[in-house]
Amino acid sequence: MTKLTYFPGCSAHGTSEEFDSTLKLVMKSLDVEMEELPDWNCCGATSAHVMTENFALALPLRNLVLAERLPNKTMGIACASCYSRMKSTKVEMDSHPELAKKINSTIVEEGEYHGDVDVKSMLQFFYEDIGTDAIAEKVTYPLKGLKIACYYGCLLTRPKNVTQFDSPEYPMSMDRIMEALGATPTAFDFKTECCGASFSISDTEIVLSLSGTILEMAKESGAHAIVVACPLCQSNLDMRQPDIEKRAGKKYEIPILYITQLMALAFGYPMKDLMPAKHIIPIEPALAHIGEEIETPEEKKKPKKAVTAESEVE
Amino acid sequence: MARVGVFVCFCGANIGDFVDVPAVVEEAKKIKEVKYAIDYKYVCSDPGQQMIRDAIVQQRLTSVVVAACSPRMHEKTFRKALSDAGMNPYLLEVANIREHSSWVHQKNKKAATGKSSDLIRMAVAKSIANEQLHEISVPVTKRALVIGGGIAGIQAALDIADARIPVVLVEKSPSIGGKMAQLDETFPTLDCSQCILTPKMVDVASHPFIELLPYSEVIELDGYVGNYKAKIKRKASYVNFDTCTGCGACWLKCPVKVPNEFNMGIDKRKAIYSPFPQAVPNKPVIDAEHCTMLIKGKCGICAKVCEKGSIDYTMQDEIVEREIGAVVVATGYDLWDPKPYEEYGVGRFKDIINSLEFERMVSANGPTGGVPVRPSDGKVPKNVVFIQCVGSRDEAKGIEYCSKICCMYTAKHTLLLHHKVQDSHAYVFYMDIRAAGKGYEEFVKRAQVETGATYLRGRASKIYKKGDKLMVQGEDAQIGQVVEVEADLVVLATAIYPYKDNPDLARLLGISYDKYGFLSEAHPKLRPVETAKAGIFLAGCTQAPKDIPDSVAQASATAAKVCGLFAGDTMKKDPMIAHVNNEFCTGCQNCVNVCPYQAIVTEEIPLGYGFKELRTVAKINEGVCQGCGSCVAICRSMAIDLAGFTDMQIINEIVAI
Repeated sequence: MTKLTYFPGCSAHGTSEEFDSTLKLVMKSLDVEMEELPDWNCCGATSAHVMTENFALALPLRNLVLAERLPNKTMGIACASCYSRMKSTKVEMDSHPELAKKINSTIVEEGEYHGDVDVKSMLQFFYEDIGTDAIAEKVTYPLKGLKIACYYGCLLTRPKNVTQFDSPEYPMSMDRIMEALGATPTAFDFKTECCGASFSISDTEIVLSLSGTILEMAKESGAHAIVVACPLCQSNLDMRQPDIEKRAGKKYEIPILYITQLMALAFGYPMKDLMPAKHIIPIEPALAHIGEEIETPEEKKKPKKAVTAESEVE
Repeated sequence: MARVGVFVCFCGANIGDFVDVPAVVEEAKKIKEVKYAIDYKYVCSDPGQQMIRDAIVQQRLTSVVVAACSPRMHEKTFRKALSDAGMNPYLLEVANIREHSSWVHQKNKKAATGKSSDLIRMAVAKSIANEQLHEISVPVTKRALVIGGGIAGIQAALDIADARIPVVLVEKSPSIGGKMAQLDETFPTLDCSQCILTPKMVDVASHPFIELLPYSEVIELDGYVGNYKAKIKRKASYVNFDTCTGCGACWLKCPVKVPNEFNMGIDKRKAIYSPFPQAVPNKPVIDAEHCTMLIKGKCGICAKVCEKGSIDYTMQDEIVEREIGAVVVATGYDLWDPKPYEEYGVGRFKDIINSLEFERMVSANGPTGGVPVRPSDGKVPKNVVFIQCVGSRDEAKGIEYCSKICCMYTAKHTLLLHHKVQDSHAYVFYMDIRAAGKGYEEFVKRAQVETGATYLRGRASKIYKKGDKLMVQGEDAQIGQVVEVEADLVVLATAIYPYKDNPDLARLLGISYDKYGFLSEAHPKLRPVETAKAGIFLAGCTQAPKDIPDSVAQASATAAKVCGLFAGDTMKKDPMIAHVNNEFCTGCQNCVNVCPYQAIVTEEIPLGYGFKELRTVAKINEGVCQGCGSCVAICRSMAIDLAGFTDMQIINEIVAI
């Protein structure tokens, strides 16, 4: 049994409850024992680092120090923003020991930071620690026929020198996991574009425009649904979708699912466990495509000539 | 009794502002052996040198110390001043009080002054033990090796050969011509590239002083300036060039198709091929990696159709040796691989090509008959987006330097596109237009006016697919807004990158290269065509990105250098080399092992004292020794001494401080 420290972040206990609950189901199926970090605190999100740099580092550092008290070697983080803050802090601390000491001195009662717990996003944990083969093994209800646009958002693979995971511009890890589930990922060029993030509250128009383009392109790619691994992306693309549709004057009706919801479904959990009622855009019509035949694109039908082999003989 | 003259230089403000020069002169005068000490604003100037010459004669000096800049800068100048005054030039010592004192201690004048005096004391002490040395004459092999048959190598070979000096031109591919042969028209005059290049290629082939070795690679270089020995591998061509007429029957009938490197893989060539119609030599070679006869022993069609019986499947690689005196390296460049630009969808979108692919397409002899087409569907594009600086000037994803030619060839491409597809429109994303060169700015203006191309200042940030179009996003910094251009075809001006085998070649030749793989010149300003190794010169893009005129100019410069080197029957060489004292040498051969130049061999000499037996001692090859001193340091019996840096001179220096 693999053990993992779980950092849910504030949204998993609120707006992204369906992420949290399906994550727990999936981990159970994958034989991973998750232990929620006791007494965890806010990562600082976008607010702390506009105040002072030290504050923005001290908040995640406290969580990193707390995580070292548990025996687990990895902390999995559900929220992309929490992941970004925590991983950035870890990289900063590990590469600047003097700074680490200084920030550590502000949270001295929590203990000393050693840097021996790894920080991963759930996507990274699934892809690197579990692997697509092990995921495929657990599939009892293949999502064949479901066309999925994999949307990573801006933080899960960026910046490259911090995350050190997948490509910052055209990542494929989630696409590979979707293939393992039996679904078909679409050629989606907007997988790392910004959704507008927290402007959702302060300047909604920005989100309507940015998330609108993402929806437009996902639809264009032929996807039935968009899969995400970030609560804020999910919320922007799902909750703002009716406003986006109104603004654009057209219907997208494309549901936004968490990666763990689709994994849970493929692992054989019933539809109700996905908490469909939590979605603004209903998920059932999209999921009804499961079981449909997907036409192979024309170029794939033809035997490939001179593409795989370097030379050919007439 | 020694009579030393000391000349302290102000070097304008370089030394004068940070060192109390008059005080240094006064300090020098206190040294017993110093009979004359004076300061001057620029000792390297003509009056400065005259001062030295006069003092040598009038003060009957026995050695001279110049306290000034690094000896790398002006040692030669001052040595000449000494010899002009009838003094042995090696009785000069330079105290480097600029780089070693004034420049590095600008905040502490007192300490810098003290250190300068110390340096002078050392130099004076050393100079007292200086001996009269004389330049060594080394015989010269008057034949040059040119590596690389692109325009730079061709020009270097022709210029050297025109001076009636034999040249061996080694080219790795089946034909000379290089990248220039792949170009359509050239900026800023729109001359047809092939039309101006092919006559030169033919000249190379027919020149009585040029030995052309195509399909060959240099694999070893031994020796030293004037006396190198090169081993060259002649790759098996499986075609007897002596009997082959280049009729082409073999490649017409060959059934194996391979992506055509000359056309950037846009079309196919055969396994037996001549890279392009104007190839020199115009003889085919068999590509052993793809020929089914050579791989599986099946086929043999080319041998059957060859009327001359020139095909020989049993041919083997052959190693030839050439004695040469100088080397010109002109290996050219490769295109930088734009793979890190994942946001452009490089590798995912077929309709993104690089500039050299575009160049092949618009070439009259190109794979698409001179018309640009979309690789995805073969349609002629209407909207073409050119993106400059792909890789260049990008510290994050690419390389820091500017590739120098992309602004120009992109402007040319907009013109060519306009000529070939009249209802087309070009968009150019650029950072700056760098058009420094004769007629260059005018050419860019002409292209902009004639084509009406839309120049957008900013780096393209993203390319995505919408239907069968590519959407190019980027910032137009001049209006401060994100713009989006619908493109049928996107052309990336990918950076010039050093030829991939440069590091291996550099190690083989014993020269240095930079962090990218460009071969390093000896001095970026004053010795731009020499390498740090005597007798090896650089031409063209192997040293840095260059356009054709610059490559040709540098190639001619190397030719001048080679001709200069070969001007006499012998070459003068610095006498500061190691000498073995046979009396002390025990023949341990430690020096043989540490010598980085393989300059030490052993010899047998009589034991002496009436004994008939022989004993082994070290022997130094005067021509090869570079005077590095490694052998002196390793010698346990102190049998080796370095002229100009004898143990006595060094000890004197140490005692002086």
